Order: sequence, then C-alpha cells, then structure tokens
Amino acid sequence: MSATVKKRALSAPLALLFAFPLIASLLFALSGVFDIQAWQLLFAHPQLWPALGLSIFTGLTSAALSLLFAVFLVGGLYQSAWWQRLSLPTGAMLAVPHVAVAIGLSFLIMPSGLLARVFAVFTSWTEPPTWITNHDPYGLSLIAALVLKETPFLMWILISILNRIDVCHSFAGQRAVGLSLGHSTASVWLHIYLPQLLPKLVWPLLVVFTYAATVVDMALVIGPTQPPTLAVVVWVDINDAIVTSNARGSVGSVFLTLMIAMVAMMVWLVAKVVFSQREWLTWGPGPRDLIRPSGTFSRGEGQIQPPPFSFGEGARKGRMRSLVTLSKVKFILLIFLYIFITAILLLLSFAPLWPFPNLWPETLSIAAWSRIGDNPWALITSLILAILTTITALALVIGWMESQPQTRDRLVTVLSAVALGVPAILLALGQYRAFLQLGITGTTFGLFIAHLVPVTAYMFIVLVGPYRSFDSCWRASAFGLLASFPRFLWMIKFPLLKAPILAASAIGFAVSFGQYVPAQLIAAGRYSTLPMEAVTLTSGTNRPLTAAFTLLLMVPPLLAFVAAAYFGKSRWSKA
Amino acid sequence: MLNRRSLLRFAALAPFLPNMAFAADWSAIETEAKGQEVYFNAWAGADNINAYIAWAGEQLKERYGVTLTHVKITDTAEVVKRVRDEVNSGKTDGSVDLVWINGENFRTMKVEKLLFGPFTQALPNFAFVDTVGKPTTLQDFTESVDGLESPWGMAQFTFFGDGAKISNPPKSMMELAAFAKANPGRVTYPAPPDFHGTTFLKQAMVELATDRSIFAKPIDKDVFAEVAKPWLVFLDELRPSLWREGKQYPKSQAEITQMVADGELLIGLTFNPNEPANLVAAGTLPKTTIAWQHAAGTIGNSHFVAIPTNAKAKAAAQVVANFLLSAEAQARKNDLKIWGDPTVLDLTKLSGEDAQQFASLPAPGSVIFPGPAILEPHGSFVPLIESTWLDHYGKG
Repeated sequence: MSATVKKRALSAPLALLFAFPLIASLLFALSGVFDIQAWQLLFAHPQLWPALGLSIFTGLTSAALSLLFAVFLVGGLYQSAWWQRLSLPTGAMLAVPHVAVAIGLSFLIMPSGLLARVFAVFTSWTEPPTWITNHDPYGLSLIAALVLKETPFLMWILISILNRIDVCHSFAGQRAVGLSLGHSTASVWLHIYLPQLLPKLVWPLLVVFTYAATVVDMALVIGPTQPPTLAVVVWVDINDAIVTSNARGSVGSVFLTLMIAMVAMMVWLVAKVVFSQREWLTWGPGPRDLIRPSGTFSRGEGQIQPPPFSFGEGARKGRMRSLVTLSKVKFILLIFLYIFITAILLLLSFAPLWPFPNLWPETLSIAAWSRIGDNPWALITSLILAILTTITALALVIGWMESQPQTRDRLVTVLSAVALGVPAILLALGQYRAFLQLGITGTTFGLFIAHLVPVTAYMFIVLVGPYRSFDSCWRASAFGLLASFPRFLWMIKFPLLKAPILAASAIGFAVSFGQYVPAQLIAAGRYSTLPMEAVTLTSGTNRPLTAAFTLLLMVPPLLAFVAAAYFGKSRWSKA
Repeated sequence: MLNRRSLLRFAALAPFLPNMAFAADWSAIETEAKGQEVYFNAWAGADNINAYIAWAGEQLKERYGVTLTHVKITDTAEVVKRVRDEVNSGKTDGSVDLVWINGENFRTMKVEKLLFGPFTQALPNFAFVDTVGKPTTLQDFTESVDGLESPWGMAQFTFFGDGAKISNPPKSMMELAAFAKANPGRVTYPAPPDFHGTTFLKQAMVELATDRSIFAKPIDKDVFAEVAKPWLVFLDELRPSLWREGKQYPKSQAEITQMVADGELLIGLTFNPNEPANLVAAGTLPKTTIAWQHAAGTIGNSHFVAIPTNAKAKAAAQVVANFLLSAEAQARKNDLKIWGDPTVLDLTKLSGEDAQQFASLPAPGSVIFPGPAILEPHGSFVPLIESTWLDHYGKG
C-alpha cells in the first residue's frame, strides 16, 4: 500500500508547480467575465465579427493546409532513402521562431521586397509596385507564413510517432497485409495508416489551430490590419491604459477562446461523423485504381523490414516513384524557403539602409550585432531558464504518467490545452494578478514558474501519445526478469522512448526560450531575458536590430532540435 | 493651533514655496537616495535612447551613489496597469520607481491617484525649465501637471521624406491631400489607437476646425459630431489616394519610417523633430532626407518622468528626475548624434557656459520649414476620435 501511496505522490509536483499556478491564473483571468458592460462594449465593437471571421478563417485554413502538406511529405518520404535523415532538417525548421518566418516572408513578398526588386531589374521600375501582398485583407499572406511554420511541426509529430518501434513493427505488418491484398503503398497510407495516425494528431492539430487563430506577433508583421484578426483587436484593448478597454479586451479574449473551442468541436464532430461512415475506406484511389498486377511479389515482402518503394511495374511503379519524387521536391523547396528566410534576415541585420529597387543594401554595418554583444546577460538568463524548466517539466510529466492511470490524463490534457489555447495575453494577465497575490512577482521563483507552465503543457501534449502507447509487453518481460521499477525505466523504457522524450525536450526548450508576455509581466523589470530585450528593442524602427535578435532567438532552439534529432536516432534503424 | 494634521498640510504645500527654503531638504533627499536602486520603466524601442539612459545611469552612480536600472518596455500602458494592480493588491514596495510618461497615461495615473507628489517644484533644476515659452511643461495634453511629473523633453509633430523625391513638401493638411492625390498609394498614417495615428487625426481636426477654442475644454458627443463633419469629409476624400487605398493601415510610426526608407512611402511622421536627422546620422534614412512642420503649426507636447505612489526608492527617483533636468544631461540629450530630443530648459536662464553646450550645427534631416507648436486637444477628444475613425475606416 505504502508503495502505491509513494508512487501516487510522484504526481504531486505536477499539481503544485503546473496545475495550481495555471488554475489560479485562469481564475484571475476569468474574474472579469461577468462584466456586463464589457460584453456590451465588445458586441458594439465595429470590428468584432469581421475580425472573428478572419481569425477562424486563417486558423482553420492554415491548420488544414499544414496537415495536408505534412501528411503528403511524411507519407511520400516514409521508409524512403531519406527517411532516417528527415528529422534533422524538420527539427531545424521547427526551431525557427514564428515571427522570423513572418519577417522573412514579408521581406520576400512585400511591394518593396525582394521579389519586386527582381522584377524591377526587368521592368525598370523605380518605385515599388502597388501590390497587395503582405497585410492583405483576407489574411492569405498570414496563412502562408503559418503554413510554412506549422508544416514542420506536424511533420515532426508524425515522424516521432512513426519512429516508435511499436508503430514501426505494426505498420510493417499492416503494410504486408495491404500489399498482399493488392493495395499500393499510397493506398496503404490512405486507408490503413492515416486512420490510425489522425486520432493521434487531434491534440497537436488543436494546438496548431488555436495558435494560428490567436497569434499576435505574426499577425502584426504580415496579417490584415483593418480589420485585423480578433487576437490583434483583443491585444490592442488589453494593452490600453483605459480600464474599460482592458475589460473589453479580457472578455474579448474569453469570447475568442469560446469561439475557437466551438469551431474545434464542430470540426471534430464532423470528422467523427465522416469517419464513422466508413465510406472513406473506399474513397480516393482504391485497390482497383492502385492495384498492382498480380504475380509481382518479390521475395522478402512479408518481412518486418518494409521493402523500399521502388517495386511494382509499369505505370504504377512510375506513379509511385513520381509521388516520392514530388514529396522530395516539396521538402527541398520547404528547406530552401527556410534557408532563404534565414539568409534574408542575416542580410537585413547588416543593412541599415536598403532602398528600392537595389538588389543589395546601400550600406553594410555591424552596429546591430555589436549592440547585442553589449549585454550577454539576457541570453545567459534565457539559456539557464530554458534548461532548468525543460528538465523540471520532463520530470513532472514523466512523474505524472508513471504514477497515474491513463484515464486521468484527460485532466492534464485539458489543463495543457487551456494553457496553450487561452490567448497568451489573457492568461498572462491572470497569472500576473495571481502571482501578485502570492507575492512572487519579480522573484526568480515566479519567473521560473511563468516559464515552466507553458513548457510543461507543450511537453505533456507532445509526450502523452508516445508514452502511453508504450507496449506493456516490455514491462511484463522486464519484471518477469526481476528488474526493479527504476531499472526497468532506465534500461528499457527510457531508451525505447528516447526519440519522443528528446523531441519533447527540444520543443520544451524552444517554448521556454520564446516566452515573452508572461515573463515580461512576472519579471517586473527585475530580470531581463532575450525575448524581452528583443521585443522591446524591435518596437522601434531598427530593422537590422530586429533581424539580428530574431536570428539570435533562433540559434539555441536550433541547436536543441539538432541535438534531439541526432541523439534520438533509433539504434535499430541502422540494422 | 499646530497639530499633526496642519503640519501635514503644511508639508504638502511645501513644494510650492521658494526653492531656497528647501536646499536643506534637498540635501536630505540626496543623502537618503545614496545606495538606493531606481527601476526606471521607459520605452526601449530605440537603442540610442537606451544608450543615453545607460549613460545617465553611470553618472548617477558616480555622483549620487544611485543605481539606475532601465526596465525596458514597449508600451507605457503596461506600467500603468502594473502600478494599478500593485496598488490594488496592497503592494507598497512597488516594482516601478520612475516611469517615462505623458498624455493619456499620465491622466489615467493622476485621476486614479497612482502618482507620488507633488515633487517637481522642489527639484533644484526645475528652476531652469522654460515654463513660459514651453507651456506644455505645465499642461500635459491639457491636463494640469500639478507637480506630479517632471518635464524631460519636448516633442512636436513633424513630417519627413526624401528631399530628392519631394521638392516642395506639403505644409498643410489640404496640401498633403493634394500631394497624396498626385502620388497615389505613397502616403498613409498609422491606424489609431497608435498614438502617432491618433495625433495625425487630431492634427487634421485642429487644422480644419474654424474655432480652435473648443479643443481646450472637455467635449461632449453632440458637439464632437459637429466638429467631426468637415474632418470626415476630408478623410473620405484623402482615403482613396492613401496606401492600399486606405483599406489597410500600418500599425505604427516605426513601420511607416521603415517603408519610407525602403521607398514604398514618400512621407513619414514623427513626434521628435530631430528624429529624421538622427536616423540620417544612424544611416537608416538617406542623406537627402528633409523634415518639415505645417505652416499654421503642428501639435506639440512634452514628455515627463513620474514617480508612482508605491515606489520603493522615492528619494533616489527624485534625484534621477533632477539630474535629467540638469543642463549637462539636457544638452547631451539634445545632441543629434546622441538622441536629438529637444530640451525643456530656458537657455537664457542658464549660465553662458551651460547654454553653450546646446549649440549644434545644422545636420542633414533637420527641420527646414518649422511651424509653431499647437497645444494638444483635451483628452476627452481621444476616445471619440478613435471610435469614430474605427466606425468609418476600421471595417476594410
């Protein structure tokens, strides 16, 4: 009995350091929800409905397109020659901050941007064209930036699921069955793999949708302006000095959250109905379409290790190949865009003046970089915080999952969804007021908790699927061999779950490294982190400094993802 | 009879008595300030300003033993909310000792009694402030300062652009509209409630009004509707010639400045008349940049530093405010190569040597067509201007 009690106690830190501050923040954030006058003001806001429409539209469209691209890319490259090398570039793309993508893409497509300058060489324009590209009224450029950023995230999730040894084995078996019944690889993907993968993607997709529908920094850089997305409307209100505007902003963010939850619920229900019809099984390219001519089985197909793509004959073989090639081309294009964006940022960081239609900056200066060198402490603080919060969050999450039955995961999942789903600025304000009551604003502990909460939420969402699907046979075998519980964890479970654990840690590190609004409020000016320095400095005109800081924000998470991808490689993959 | 209460009342009046009587008190404040740490919450979007504050910190450490920590913020409204929350929750050792402030944020803090003071008249260097020639040092957006904030610098709405592209800059709102018509898509203003955007709209309203006296007093909705009529006609007419046909607006003045530098827009706007010159010096704007103000005047104001009522280091905060008013600090701030923020001091009140420090050579990007300063309209105009604009132009 005492062992059970002791084991249950492993979940206490999570309750104390994650659930408690989060619930307290939420209560304080929602304390203004019964302000009738604020609701009246909100519904009288002339931009409310168009802005809400834009938020939902950009959120849904970018989530759907990201999913489509991610599935297409991962599906096309699964078990191809590139498969083992895929997680490294994907992780690297994941590390690029959202706002960096927005700035880079902006400078590419805006009327005085690089594309227009290239055109100007041929058309001899002296003034930028009056294109409507960035800040377009429908949010299309915002959607493009979001898709560019979220596709690698979903790919990363898919890859970490597919790389799990249990999935690897069961999928190989299912594939053998599918092929035996005459289905092509594409058909196996569509009819067998995808239905199993999609349920595992529900939470990541919700995160993507919520993020896209509530993002402020990207929307300010590249999104529509009049009306803007609702998140921006709310953000402007919450930042106002006038109390009634703050109240309207608070209920506005509650309203936005409710609408997002409603839309997500509707999408989920529709998906459920569609999938329960089971007609999707025959929808799309089916066995008749993609059936391979019989008698083309080569030996070895029934083995656990799936055969490469390039079998089959004639047109079907060609079609399969072109599908893989298309995925490869798309993946290279994606990587190229990221490299290009990074290069643009690098160039901008040295270019105080770069007027249209010049293809190269008029002057180059290292002023921005030397400015950053003046204060290395912000960077150091951010690094220490990121490392500490990632380790703590990992301990909290694993402590929970090892001590609680799976049925209780719902509690933490809902809390995590709240932490990620409620617009950051509302939750941050609630957190600030809660921490003020606890007397921990302006303290190291307060700053630590402010970083820990979102890190834990992200890591839980990312880790819960892989961790809970861990095959219990391993455990039974280990205990059968009289291994102790800690020994089983260290020698069997953690090594087998190495890839998802490292992936989640890399995400946690990046999330901590990017915290701004909650950190800024809780720090009360007593501490300075890199995002705080970056965001405050970039509220001015200095584009080189903005670019330099954006790049600097990119590097540590990039290293974390590269490390996760490198060390997370499964040992058996080389066999 | 002299009881405790009347003594307190006397103490409250004290700052308004002549400075001489307080020389002793001031040195007491300086003594108390030694070793204190001042958390100065100031907008940090320009690294030249941050560098100036860092310089002030070094001087204060050396001369008064005061540690000045620059808390970098993007929006002063954050600080107003922070102080309000702290005061409401009974936190007496507040996180803010000094805040860079003016206008609406000041009015909010004053009305909600979030400010310490009056203290400014007791600052020894306040005697050199040009309160007559620069009335905005006493009237912040028509709100009486009442000694609750110490003036720091001057601002006047100013336009700028590339002199190589603009030979004859528009010197009134009407001329600006004509310029926009001749150069469609090359002029715009930030969407309110960005404060430069709101100022542009105020400027238009003041220029178009027949009777300017109404701007000094609180305004009610019906009178505003009348004043707004010619203003809306003007804005409607201007709109189709604006950037993106006035359907989209940049979010900030900084974004417009960048677009001017890139060549996408022809005219930028700023509240610091020396900002264009400063940006030329920094290499962000071309050397051919020119700046101008409207012939009939543009809106001007002052910016200040204030001490929250729950500040922890009130004595040291006053020492900082006093130092920022010194001829040396003001002259350095005035220097185009440092910051270029105009001084609040009356140079004739300074010694010849001190006044000498302010002399500067004309620099590229300086204002070539200056106009007189117009007082800010009363604060009650702001919400009406913003909501009316949003109703008309906020829906795309």
